[in-house]
Amino acid sequence: MTTMEAPATREIPYVSAVAEAFAQLMREDPTIFIAGEDVALYGSVFGVSRGLLNEFGPQRVVDTPIAESGIMGLGLGAAATGLRPIIDIMFMDFMGVCMDEVVNQIAKMKYMFGGKAKLPLTIHTMAGAGTSMAAQHSQSLEAWFCHVPGLKVVMPSGPYEAKGLMVAAVRDDNPVIVVNTKTILGMKAHVPEELYEIPLGKAHVIREGTNFTIVATGRMVSESLKAAELLSADGLDVEVVDPRTLQPFDTETVVASVRKTHRALIAHEAVRFGGIGAEFAAQIQEEAFDYLDAPVGRVGAPFTPVPFSPVLEKEYMPTADKIAAEVRRILGKQV
Amino acid sequence: MPGVVGLVVNPASGKDIRRLVASASVFDNREKLSIVRRAVLGAMAAGIDRFVYMPDCHGIVSAAVEDLVEDAVFERLPSPVTDSALDTTRAADRMRESGVGCVITLGGDGTNRAFAMGWRDPPLVAISTGTNNVFPEMVEGTIAGAAAGLVASGAVRSGEASRQVKTVHVSVDGEKDDLALIDAVLLDEAFVGARAIWSPVRLKTLVLARAEPAVVGMSAIGGLLHPLPDSVDGGLVVEAGPGGHVVTAPIAPGLYTEVPVRTFRQVGLGETVGVCGPGVLALDGERERRLKPGQSAGLTVRRDGPLVVDVQLVLKLAAARGLFRTAWSEGTNGN
Amino acid sequence: MTDIAADVLLDIHNRMVRIRTFEEEAGKLMESGKIPGALHLYVGEEAVAAGVMVHLRDSDQITSTHRGHGHLVAKGGDLQKMYAELFGRATGYCKGKGGSMHISDLDLGMLGANGIVGAGPPIAIGAAFSNKYRGTDDVTCCFFGDGASNEGTFHEAANMAALYKLPVIFVCENNGFGEFTRQERHQAIHDIADRAAGYGMPGIVVDGMDALAVYESAGEAIARARRGDGPTFLEYKTYRYFDHVGVRGMGVIYREDSEVLEWRQRDPIALMEARLAEQGLLSADGAAQVHEAALAEVREAIAFAEASPFPEPSALMEDIYTTAAGAGGAA
Repeated sequence: MTTMEAPATREIPYVSAVAEAFAQLMREDPTIFIAGEDVALYGSVFGVSRGLLNEFGPQRVVDTPIAESGIMGLGLGAAATGLRPIIDIMFMDFMGVCMDEVVNQIAKMKYMFGGKAKLPLTIHTMAGAGTSMAAQHSQSLEAWFCHVPGLKVVMPSGPYEAKGLMVAAVRDDNPVIVVNTKTILGMKAHVPEELYEIPLGKAHVIREGTNFTIVATGRMVSESLKAAELLSADGLDVEVVDPRTLQPFDTETVVASVRKTHRALIAHEAVRFGGIGAEFAAQIQEEAFDYLDAPVGRVGAPFTPVPFSPVLEKEYMPTADKIAAEVRRILGKQV
Repeated sequence: MPGVVGLVVNPASGKDIRRLVASASVFDNREKLSIVRRAVLGAMAAGIDRFVYMPDCHGIVSAAVEDLVEDAVFERLPSPVTDSALDTTRAADRMRESGVGCVITLGGDGTNRAFAMGWRDPPLVAISTGTNNVFPEMVEGTIAGAAAGLVASGAVRSGEASRQVKTVHVSVDGEKDDLALIDAVLLDEAFVGARAIWSPVRLKTLVLARAEPAVVGMSAIGGLLHPLPDSVDGGLVVEAGPGGHVVTAPIAPGLYTEVPVRTFRQVGLGETVGVCGPGVLALDGERERRLKPGQSAGLTVRRDGPLVVDVQLVLKLAAARGLFRTAWSEGTNGN
Repeated sequence: MTDIAADVLLDIHNRMVRIRTFEEEAGKLMESGKIPGALHLYVGEEAVAAGVMVHLRDSDQITSTHRGHGHLVAKGGDLQKMYAELFGRATGYCKGKGGSMHISDLDLGMLGANGIVGAGPPIAIGAAFSNKYRGTDDVTCCFFGDGASNEGTFHEAANMAALYKLPVIFVCENNGFGEFTRQERHQAIHDIADRAAGYGMPGIVVDGMDALAVYESAGEAIARARRGDGPTFLEYKTYRYFDHVGVRGMGVIYREDSEVLEWRQRDPIALMEARLAEQGLLSADGAAQVHEAALAEVREAIAFAEASPFPEPSALMEDIYTTAAGAGGAA
């Protein structure tokens, strides 16, 4: 792998980064298998498992019935008995169908059993609006799972993160939910060919700045970087922090940034009310209250189901413009 | 006089271990319900408007006739429901005094045996919903019901279209007597266990009221050596064990297996064959009762069983007598 | 049709007696307030656990139910650790964090009692998938009740088990009640095994009060799974002598005492003892000794539990995640 003088800037799309992570992990560890609806023959409706069936065969790349509780239980039982499953739930919205398995069984087995169970289980799912898939195929429900002790939740923001976080998630001995965002699957970026890990629970300062901090998750990271460019015209030097892992949350890195910039805004695609941004904001004010020069702002989707019509959906989606506008509003500037 | 039809439906038939250890069909209770309904409608078409039935814990008959109660009387026998073969025997006993002119049974050999234990000699239309079905026939419920109705009403006399079948009487030293309709078998076993027989290894002595080559069960072992149909008086005694022949017989559905046979001989009606414990006596294919060491039992073939109705013949007679035919008149419903 | 050796017969009997003794004593302790929380007791259903479990190895798994003590006792569970768990002590199977409804022993393949009705089947197919994947001939027995057979999880798992030909045995303990609701008021069928054909697996109905009928049928189903021939549905007709929770429950009448008495006429332990006596394998005195030994063992377990320390309050935040580094999000 390292003998080739590969160009340092190999750029591949997000979707290929995920697929590459799966393939390399499966080559490394024979106890890893992937199961889910249409993950094998079809290679997943999003293409994240394309090619796996050919390489690893039907025993390790398993098409399942449309039965989310059954699939999730399959992952749990297999994880508790020595395997390292990757369970694919096609759309994050479908997590609603298997909440008992996730919340009452998977998250709690270790604790209920006095620490004896080890569950190296990865749940991979796809969130996000913007494709006219309407209310049941577009949600970002990551906050639900951050609220449940026993689970870890990661939300990659680009191809590099998608691969590195997936590797860390699969190698972790805990149940980890990897929330990818369907609208950035085509985003290209540099992704190293070798297997590398981005540690869970560590935030990443993706753009350094001096007088404003935007903490953004998933797709909102790239939107926040655009917003930062827009705001630089106003003389703002925005720092963008990508928590990468939502649970456990890297309070330290985020708070350090806010202590430096004195102002903060959280951006996520999920509905704003009760979103993970509320928790982040609370942590910031608990740890950095005396450093804050303005209230902590939040950008998220309005409190409505995701609409179907492109016109309505555009209205719904948080964007770089909306982030920039909210920053200006917090700072008392003209929108 | 319209006559009364009795209904005995064994909810437990067609569900035993032979679905697992052999390839027997499952008779689920919805199917039994449909058959009962068809039989009742057939009997009603033959002019019957009163039925007496055995209650069962599944409520099969009551559910089957739920919407027919305006058109006929369905009298539930006041016998207790124990969810065992005892229900059938008790119901048969009570049916004897209820004016029933013909009885429809749904079950296998075991069901009809249990019925005959309570009432040995009524006209019987036995519909097969069991596992080993030497006694009951594979007959369409509608037609079976019509035949039963015709016999119950006297439109076809039972003497015209039925024959009295043989039985095997079982007298056990110091205990209550027993009965089989097809076969009584001594096994070298200590326990009744899961009841059915699916291995030839422990067979000792078989006393067969009928030895039929074209059936499944113990009867086939004799039937493939020395056929002895019900129409011929006498029985066949088979001593299993090495030294004589090896018969490849279907002892359970789908299960042709080699049975070593030391000797076999025909016995006359009324001739008692003695067997001695320890062992288990299987009656009509089900392990029923244990013989203690030294405890003896006498097995005697007699012709004193139920009057089995020939369904085909009843309907031929009905056709010859024009029982389902009237002359056209104004007001005839042509539907 | 199965030759049952004398030591196996005595073993089945012993397992049944140990379950009953464990449960009867636990019931008393719960009703006198010594054991906190709720206990769902297995008394009356012992033949099922004993008749199935006597076929299993430690490496075979089971998934259990809220009525799970009997399953773990029969699987070879340590009574001291079990009682310590019921008492919420640090020496318990789950360090006092699980209690009755989550009692488990992964070393014995016991993947946990479960507080959620119908949670077992999906987990069981996962374990069975793992057995097949790892190339073992271990099997998974999934215990569940008539109530759980109405949960979607059962249906999803049954479908997948048959589809993938998994080495799993669905052991349906039909005790006639989903909590307090009689079976005829919670499903339109009486034989739950009728559902098996709909998923493409054999389903049979067996007398669950007769340990030997259980033994024989479970043996065939387990052998079939080990051979790689796929899942089986075994429905055992059995009966819960005690209330849904505890012994006498909350005193609401939902069944007649006469019904309980009728079922007790076919008590699985008495039935077994009569057979063993007839076979000359266990005299009345011998049976009494088995009961006494079980009681002594249970009392010892209770004494161990009562003498055991409670968990340190600091244990509250332990065992949530596998590595210390991942211990919780920032509070």
